[in-house]
Amino acid sequence: MSNAVMERTPAGEHKQRHTRNLAEWSRRPQLPDTHYVDTRVYTDPIIFREEIEKIFNRVWLPVCHESELPNPYDYRTASVAGFKPIVVVRGPDNKIRTFLNICPHRGNIIVRSPAGTLTKAEPSGNPKHMTCMFHGWQWDAFGRCAEIPREEQGYQGRVCKADVGLREIRTEVAHGGFVWVNLDDNCEPLADYIAGAFDFMSQELDTEPLEIFHYQKSVIRTNYKLWHETSREFYHDYMHYHNRATGMLQKGYFDRKYTVFPNGHAATGLTTIVYEAYEGNKDRVLTFPGMPKNGWKQVNIFPACTYSLRASCLRVSIMTPISERETLIEIRGLGLKRDTPQEREERIIDHDTIWGPFGRNLHEDLLAVQNQSIAMREGSGSKYLIMAREENSTIHDEIGLRSYFAEWTRRMGRMASDPTRLLED
Amino acid sequence: MTNRELDQLQQVHELVYESCLRLNAEDWKGYLDLCDPDSFRYRIVNYSPEIRREQCWMDRDFKGLKALFDLLPKHNSDHSPLTRHATVYKVTFDESAGEASAITLLSIYRTQLDGVNSHFESGQTSLFAVGKYEDRIRLGNGTGPARLLGRTVRLDTRQLDIGSHYPF
Ligand code: FES
Ligand SMILES: [Fe+2]
Repeated sequence: MSNAVMERTPAGEHKQRHTRNLAEWSRRPQLPDTHYVDTRVYTDPIIFREEIEKIFNRVWLPVCHESELPNPYDYRTASVAGFKPIVVVRGPDNKIRTFLNICPHRGNIIVRSPAGTLTKAEPSGNPKHMTCMFHGWQWDAFGRCAEIPREEQGYQGRVCKADVGLREIRTEVAHGGFVWVNLDDNCEPLADYIAGAFDFMSQELDTEPLEIFHYQKSVIRTNYKLWHETSREFYHDYMHYHNRATGMLQKGYFDRKYTVFPNGHAATGLTTIVYEAYEGNKDRVLTFPGMPKNGWKQVNIFPACTYSLRASCLRVSIMTPISERETLIEIRGLGLKRDTPQEREERIIDHDTIWGPFGRNLHEDLLAVQNQSIAMREGSGSKYLIMAREENSTIHDEIGLRSYFAEWTRRMGRMASDPTRLLED
Repeated sequence: MTNRELDQLQQVHELVYESCLRLNAEDWKGYLDLCDPDSFRYRIVNYSPEIRREQCWMDRDFKGLKALFDLLPKHNSDHSPLTRHATVYKVTFDESAGEASAITLLSIYRTQLDGVNSHFESGQTSLFAVGKYEDRIRLGNGTGPARLLGRTVRLDTRQLDIGSHYPF
């Protein structure tokens, strides 16, 4: 090619450096098929529907924090695995249960507010009950049907309260007091699914109760995997001035290790950040039980959740996929329940500086994943993403991405590097 | 209204509107010139019905805000400009302190530039956020012009798309 130049690779070979024509651009990377991904896994609506069926309908998903429903009869609504509406309710026995938030009569949403208490009566329903506003059917906080207006006259025993309880969804509260649900009635217990991925953070998360202080959400025009991937690779620290100026310049930055767990989870080991290196930052003094000052640990739970415990605050990011190109991203900030008002204020400021909607990093991360989605839209000409960095499982190694796609491949029965290829092939 | 009251009202209007013009122009230094360096506190807050709590999304003093502005060129921001449309609705005076409080309703529009596919979307304007400014203002007197002592941006909007590096 006319515009070629010679390059000497680190291995000492001479290679020609040149642009690529369409055939060359479309050629599979000369890498193991675990080390690159076909962009159709982010853009194909059929693959997306299959992900909901084979992944999201079967795994444990965190949906909210217990402090969002602190008292008996408190509730929180959400949706999981695409559009499945759910309502999480704390019963009079203090136990948290989850139900599909769909009326078995004629399909209305039952509980409508994002959060609240059932102790107040609805315009057409009794207190301590969930009332469907359409025809006034009611359920108690255990999900049992308590009222069908004119039941006997209309159904003559053909339909009765005993037949129309709510669909209950497997629920556990764990790992810092988060409420986890699983749509599969026959799923393994949460602890088996997590497979020890939280062990290195359990002292911080589970010594004493945590409390939410920050909630933010956005529907971002991106595939959910792209957002999760930003948490699984630190090579993009080059994007964040904050990280270039603090973490990356510190001794030991390149030694920080990834640990890969079963079921696709991955953790990044403890590091400490010298915040003084960043102009305008106050030193952080608050921490979590067992966590050194200015420490930072992170765990990524397959398929769509990240816990990041950084200095004085815990950030938990949860994604709900809406379509192959839209994702609801929810970000929660938590401190210790016993914080004094002054301590809480400090944690909030620390949290917002990095991760608030006006923080330094979040905006950059979201901008990048949205732009990725634009660039690799179906028909754009995008072909492959390279995930081939190997650095002995340290910080810029892309093992976190590869472990994700290993699990994805196992559950989907398709190669991420060529989704048209089924595993049996 | 006495002439003195009219003058004070005009000072408040001019200060609030000038602050919007300077922010719209991304004249960060000019904006800080309108703020009192010793006591200025800038906060962005909202009430979340999801967690049933008041929450704070930014809390900076004068120095902190200046540091944030100084670092803007180092960040990989969406460069879509934000346009603040403001109307001062209510001003109350504290004569003895020489201060005023103003409530200003605020709409913020975003005109796309490079945040998304610029070929298709640059030039499009959409409503980005609504809320209000709650300002505390020191009125001008013989020793100096009116200055912002504190600004709380109380947002109604709780979904800010990808967010912003630019304060409202
Ligand atoms: S649809 Fe709910 S009571 Fe009829
Ligand atoms: Fe990032």
